[in-house]
Amino acid sequence: MDLTPIFYQIFIGLYRASIYWLIASGLTIIFGVLRVVNFSQAVFLILGGYLAYTFYYGFTGSFWLSILLASLCVGIIGVAIEFFLLKPLYKIDVTYQLLMTFAVSLIINDATKILWGKLPVSIPLPETLGIGVSILGRTYPLYIILMILIGLLIYVSITILINRTMWGLRVRATWRRPEIAESIGINTSIIYTSVFFLGGFVAGLGGSLMVAFSPVAPGLGDFLIVSAFIVTVIAGLGHLTGAYIASIIIGVSESLFTLYVPEVDLLLIYLIMALSLLIRPQGILGER
Amino acid sequence: MVSEERRSLLKMIGAGVAGLVVGIAGGLALAPEKVREIPKTTTITQTITKTETPVAKLPKDTIRIGVLGIRSGTWATYGTLIEQGARLAMEEINAAGGILGSKIELSIRDEAADVVKQARELVEQEKVDFLVGVDSSGNAMKLGPIMPELNRIVIFTHAATHRVNEELVYKQGIKHIFRISVPVYQDGILAAWIAKDLPVRKWAGINPDYEYGRVSWDFFKTTLKALRPDAEFVSEQWNPSPGTTDFTKWISAIMATDAEGLFTTNWAVEAITFHRQAMELGFYKKIKAVFNPMGYSMDVAYGLGKDYPKLEHGMWVSGRYVWFYPPTDVNKRFVDACVKRWGRLPAYSTETTYSAIYMIKAAIEKVGTLDLDALIKAMENMVLITPAGVRWIRPQDHQAVYEIPYGKISGETINVGGDVPVLTDVRAVPAFLYYRSPPDYKMPIG
Repeated sequence: MDLTPIFYQIFIGLYRASIYWLIASGLTIIFGVLRVVNFSQAVFLILGGYLAYTFYYGFTGSFWLSILLASLCVGIIGVAIEFFLLKPLYKIDVTYQLLMTFAVSLIINDATKILWGKLPVSIPLPETLGIGVSILGRTYPLYIILMILIGLLIYVSITILINRTMWGLRVRATWRRPEIAESIGINTSIIYTSVFFLGGFVAGLGGSLMVAFSPVAPGLGDFLIVSAFIVTVIAGLGHLTGAYIASIIIGVSESLFTLYVPEVDLLLIYLIMALSLLIRPQGILGER
Repeated sequence: MVSEERRSLLKMIGAGVAGLVVGIAGGLALAPEKVREIPKTTTITQTITKTETPVAKLPKDTIRIGVLGIRSGTWATYGTLIEQGARLAMEEINAAGGILGSKIELSIRDEAADVVKQARELVEQEKVDFLVGVDSSGNAMKLGPIMPELNRIVIFTHAATHRVNEELVYKQGIKHIFRISVPVYQDGILAAWIAKDLPVRKWAGINPDYEYGRVSWDFFKTTLKALRPDAEFVSEQWNPSPGTTDFTKWISAIMATDAEGLFTTNWAVEAITFHRQAMELGFYKKIKAVFNPMGYSMDVAYGLGKDYPKLEHGMWVSGRYVWFYPPTDVNKRFVDACVKRWGRLPAYSTETTYSAIYMIKAAIEKVGTLDLDALIKAMENMVLITPAGVRWIRPQDHQAVYEIPYGKISGETINVGGDVPVLTDVRAVPAFLYYRSPPDYKMPIG
């Protein structure tokens, strides 16, 4: 039996997984540190795509520069949202922060319609990325390989940032016990803000890279946030490695279901979530 | 003489201001009603417009027409295309003296904001005399059944489900519904008629997961199987629509099969995305022929331009009207007017809505009154000469019968406000042959 179609389908699934991961990673660290489920995380991704479009056509004309600028901008927008809209709410019930992130996602969604119109936008893929790499007689598009590698790179970088740096130590302290972290002199306020920057930057990077292949459109965030939530639920909220593995599980199984059971592929994703909630309610790598 | 000069002056100012407005307003690219181009000829129907004393005066001096189209969300462009057709026809008719002396006025609404509510408001508050437009098949099926209660005629100009003419008009006998645009027979049945002659036996489908996609794929499969029993359908995939921006998993799933041909009814921006991603994934190195029935809708044609893939056995595309067919004076005039007004070749829903307004004009001029029953009688069996060619309104199901060709993407483009792919190997089949027909309508052949 020729296995290359299956490998190819898994390869496409890993690309999908990468996009989910770039949303879910931000969702996970923000939840871990701030205990806020950031509904606007998928909209950050969409915003990254739109900003890359504006930078590309409006200013730079350079693919890579547009991506860098767009990611930074989304990071800064994340900081602004945290500083102006969420900080005032930390003292009251966490539900209000949840509602606020939901409001932010609705506002950004509608703002994109006003700023960029109702039609999907995209930027051209640079020619250097438009080529295919031949592996065992099958051509794999370089762009898709790159997206998968960037997903992995982001996973490795965030893990190193959190486990091996001083900033990471502070984040971990805040993650575990914010009160104690504060009592030993950690400025949790800065930690919160920087975590939001990181979440925004990663989502912005995902969106701006994605827009060269799949256009961004108003309302696309609603589709993506559902899958990203499924990922974090399977992972166990606030667990980074779990979220990376869960992204791959969801991306690859979505893809394989399409190959083998196209009639019910959507249903099966929810089935995986339901099963994982029943068998491991704490998430695949979660404790408790 | 004075009038002549005034006209040409008006024309120049009109063109200038319209150009400015189009330039500045961008998305709202429609000139205000006052700014009109004055065309030389307006009669496109068989009836001859009498510029002297009209034979019959209507009870009111304005005829209000409600225009419904999708004006928000993914498909928002399509509402604008409908509006353009309605406006162009209105401007032409009013400039030539109106319908029996009465001017046309338009009321434009977004069908995406509850089509039934919008239609009710149009009829009850804005007192429109006719409804035209409707992009979505789902909305047509919602609006159709309440037409007797609203006591108005609706002419659908885009919604394509066969259930409109087969169920609502023929079976349920709702005489208030007409459709001037081609139904999914074009998308599913005619595609199969052409596909049967290609050296392609194994087909796959990637279609939007709702009425239009399901019905078209079903028509394609059944027709092709009947015409060519050795045809095989090796894979069928359904993408959510609207909302799909990533087609990779469906494309690679088809690549895993031994399919040689693909049938996809993805349309508008989803068609553009689909073809681009298929190219990136090397899909068209494997697939020899594609049918994309709405692939020559002008937004897709302009959207892909020079990049529109050309395949070994053809990237076959069509629309509900294509700008170059038929090469009649009536069509050339229409295309020129659209290019002059909006800088681009006309989209199909612009033509269908334009012709719908002229159909209303022809009916009123024939009966000389706004009496509903008389108008319905006049529209049944009507023969119209329109930009898309001769349309016959079949009396049994109120469906316009006219032909639209399929063609292959040639690799060449022409530039009219952007690059448009030119088609080659253009094939048309008389609509009488491939349309599904009501049981009591028989072709006089075996």
